[in-house]
Amino acid sequence: MPSYKLYYFHGRGRAEPARLMLAAAGLPYEDIRLEYEQWPEYKPKMPMGQAPVLEVDGTMICQSVAIARFVAKESGRAGKTNIEQAWADMMADGFVDMLNKMADYVWYEEDEARKAEKKKTFFDTTLPEFLGYFEKLLVANNGGGGFFVGDGLTHAEAFFLCLSDDIIAEKPNVLSPYPKLAALVERIKTYPGIKEWLAKRPQTPF
Amino acid sequence: MAPKYKLTYFDARGRGEPTRLIFAAAGVEFEDNRLTFEEWPAIKPTTPMGGLPLLEVDGVTLCQSLAIARFAARDVGLAGKSNLEQAQADMFVDEISELLPKMAGLFFEKDEAVKAEKQKEVEELIVKTYTILEKLSGSAGYLVGNRLLWCDLIFFNIASNVENLKPGTVQNYPKLAKSYENVKLNSRIAAYLAKRKETPF
Repeated sequence: MPSYKLYYFHGRGRAEPARLMLAAAGLPYEDIRLEYEQWPEYKPKMPMGQAPVLEVDGTMICQSVAIARFVAKESGRAGKTNIEQAWADMMADGFVDMLNKMADYVWYEEDEARKAEKKKTFFDTTLPEFLGYFEKLLVANNGGGGFFVGDGLTHAEAFFLCLSDDIIAEKPNVLSPYPKLAALVERIKTYPGIKEWLAKRPQTPF
Repeated sequence: MAPKYKLTYFDARGRGEPTRLIFAAAGVEFEDNRLTFEEWPAIKPTTPMGGLPLLEVDGVTLCQSLAIARFAARDVGLAGKSNLEQAQADMFVDEISELLPKMAGLFFEKDEAVKAEKQKEVEELIVKTYTILEKLSGSAGYLVGNRLLWCDLIFFNIASNVENLKPGTVQNYPKLAKSYENVKLNSRIAAYLAKRKETPF
């Protein structure tokens, strides 16, 4: 079995989808959490000067979605056919679009008034539009009582859980109009491997 | 017999061109469905996530431009051999693609003062991105490994737009320049480019 080392900071952030897939796969890995003071020393070692990075037997992979997809494929949880894999990718990309919009106002907007405005637009307009699409797409997969793709968990669920954690923290009832999505969150949380990880993972602000 | 793949996008390169280049490089036929802006509002509610491009294949409609491109690359054998090589190609594509929204923002900016500001930001981001990619790029004339993969086509697509913005940029990065030339000289791509319609974006 390859050796896996995941480098990131003390947080869920852009590493958590990979951690969730590693947990689902039952793959042991070194969960390296760097302090901000250590970062200047590590940055030049990273392929694109950023984290997360997954080191696989000495080869470094960066870019959070590429990492999560790679881990998913390692345990056959990326979709069984090319079309299923594309579907999983498509869903993951949709969730990442929403996560990026949140990151935009949380991390990249300094003006308080614009921050508040962007957040309002996100929760009032953008997010409901896309949750509507996501609910419909889930239902399109055999009625929506399972997972987004085929009959098993994929990296689509990992990204979805990260998104729902963040939006529910802001707005606890945000998924009430989307019953299939809400039920899926619970299914992901009790998935073998993920359930144990969620119970023991460090509680962090992001 | 109808082609296996139907790509729907606007009459433009934009987010549809990566997949067109992938099919072209593989010599695979596809239906290149181009919508006018007037047709779009009626079609939008029928799409999976309210956007384009779409790829219809085997009765399934895919969205998200990179998911589509990656799917096409895998189907035609341009994604990479192993899971690791595929991840490395993904890594390049993800980094290169960060230039897209910034360049689009610049292209569509009407205010002259803001445009000048955005131009400066884009030029800095290009240098930053190209420097990172040059460092990681393979030395065999391709970004990853020793043959043309979809990441080379994705780079070529965006680098062509960069060359329009600031001609000669890619020549400052020897390994990237080699990948760029190899795509341009690929006989199927050369033929595709020779007959490709000129569009503003």
